[in-house]
Amino acid sequence: MISETGTQREKEIKIIGFLCNWCSYGGADTAGVCRFKQPTDLRIIRIPCTGRMDPLFVVKALIYGADGVLVSGCHPKDCHYAVGNLYARRRMELLKRFLPFIGIDTNRFRYTWVSASEGQLWQQVVTEFSEEIHRLGPNAGLNEKMDAETALSLFNTK
Amino acid sequence: MPMDEKTKTLQEDFEKNFADLELVIGWETGFDRLHATPVFIRQPSELGKLVWNPLCSQNLSGYLAKNLDASIQEDGKKIGICVKGCDSRSLVALIQENFIDRKRLYIVGIPCEGTVDLRRLMRLNPSLKNVRKVDIEGNKAVVETDQETLRFPIEDVLARKCLRCLYPNPVIYDTIIGTPVKPRISEDKAYTAVEKLDSSDRKQRLAFWKTEFDRCIRCYACRNACPLCVCQDNCIAESRKPKWLTQRDGIREKFLFHMIHGLHLAGRCTECGECERVCPVEIPTMLIKEKMNQIVKDMLDYEAGIDPEAKPPLLTFDPGETGI
Ligand code: SF4
Ligand code: SF4
Ligand code: SF4
Repeated sequence: MISETGTQREKEIKIIGFLCNWCSYGGADTAGVCRFKQPTDLRIIRIPCTGRMDPLFVVKALIYGADGVLVSGCHPKDCHYAVGNLYARRRMELLKRFLPFIGIDTNRFRYTWVSASEGQLWQQVVTEFSEEIHRLGPNAGLNEKMDAETALSLFNTK
Repeated sequence: MPMDEKTKTLQEDFEKNFADLELVIGWETGFDRLHATPVFIRQPSELGKLVWNPLCSQNLSGYLAKNLDASIQEDGKKIGICVKGCDSRSLVALIQENFIDRKRLYIVGIPCEGTVDLRRLMRLNPSLKNVRKVDIEGNKAVVETDQETLRFPIEDVLARKCLRCLYPNPVIYDTIIGTPVKPRISEDKAYTAVEKLDSSDRKQRLAFWKTEFDRCIRCYACRNACPLCVCQDNCIAESRKPKWLTQRDGIREKFLFHMIHGLHLAGRCTECGECERVCPVEIPTMLIKEKMNQIVKDMLDYEAGIDPEAKPPLLTFDPGETGI
């Protein structure tokens, strides 16, 4: 993105969206067909089912500098494969609670459920999340500058 | 029961039952009396090698799934194995996941007062030598050398996992050696290390882990020693397809490797501390899994390696679950 003056380059915000083939991908499609206005930061990766979601996908994306990760699938009890999202729900929630411990901002990760007919809901979800990520700004990943001493002194096993 | 007596009872028990066993896995004295090392016994005449003392830190249950095939009960003999409290939880976890068959095992459980972290002991006493015996008496670790008898407060020399151990008594066994011991801490103290780190600022935590992981040489000893890291040759840290990690030597690869180990142990880690014990550069790797266990306990009310009939919570689901 070129800033107003046209001289400085702002880092472009990149959000990775993992969407299940049967519901949320359809939901995003519905939103598109209905010409609902949507933010352009989202890069969609289609997965067969949220049951395919390895929490490591999220971790890797965030470590390697994606600014946000959004996972979306069928509503619980509405999975095309019956139970894939029920497995996913536990994994995603666990990850959400775990990320802060290793120092990753958990607000950069969100999981949600949107069905194929909910174009409007999709628009809302993606707009809100994108706004949140813009508020947080670019993700410095592991390059974030900070001082380790305080934290190191908190934990001493030696 | 004093250590020597326990060692004797241990040997006698295996002698009595050896006719049913093809193999006994236990500990023997290592290259000196300050070290114990795993031993595999196939002849009854060798049972005299077995020892039990606070240096028997290795978790032997990993061998069952990784080096031997204990997954099927053949019409033959059993494998005898010695376990401490924490090791027994790993056994339970392996039974739950069908890596080993309970019927194939003859489990000798040993109530445990803790194992000594040799690195901590040597740091306290760098000139320590000619050790004859190490024992635990109440709140002291007693080290006898040829010259003298030294006593150290256990907080200074026990492994970190032992100072926060809730299950010093084996949770599964056929025979138990000695009488049960009381845990040293109450349940609400189990996660104090995690809580302490959690109380810092997020950026400080990131800095903390970056500093710790920076030392990692990716030797994968933590993975190899973990009884529940059962993939071994197919570990995604090394496979080319899928390719998660490159050969690059950078913090991102190291960080991601630890996330792999951590997330693959979610709801499975039995807190045996092997990952942390074997790390050559002393990274507190178990801390990551402790956090994971704390979350699993809060969220799903589950503790790994306690009930052989239970299903690890991330291998199943509950449609009615709310609040997550
Ligand atoms: S963690 Fe518990 S059972 Fe395991 S060695 Fe330490 S005190 Fe013993
Ligand atoms: S992750 Fe560490 S503490 Fe947990 S089971 Fe594996 S070796 Fe033991
Ligand atoms: S044992 Fe230590 S150095 Fe080796 S891979 Fe594990 S954490 Fe890294």
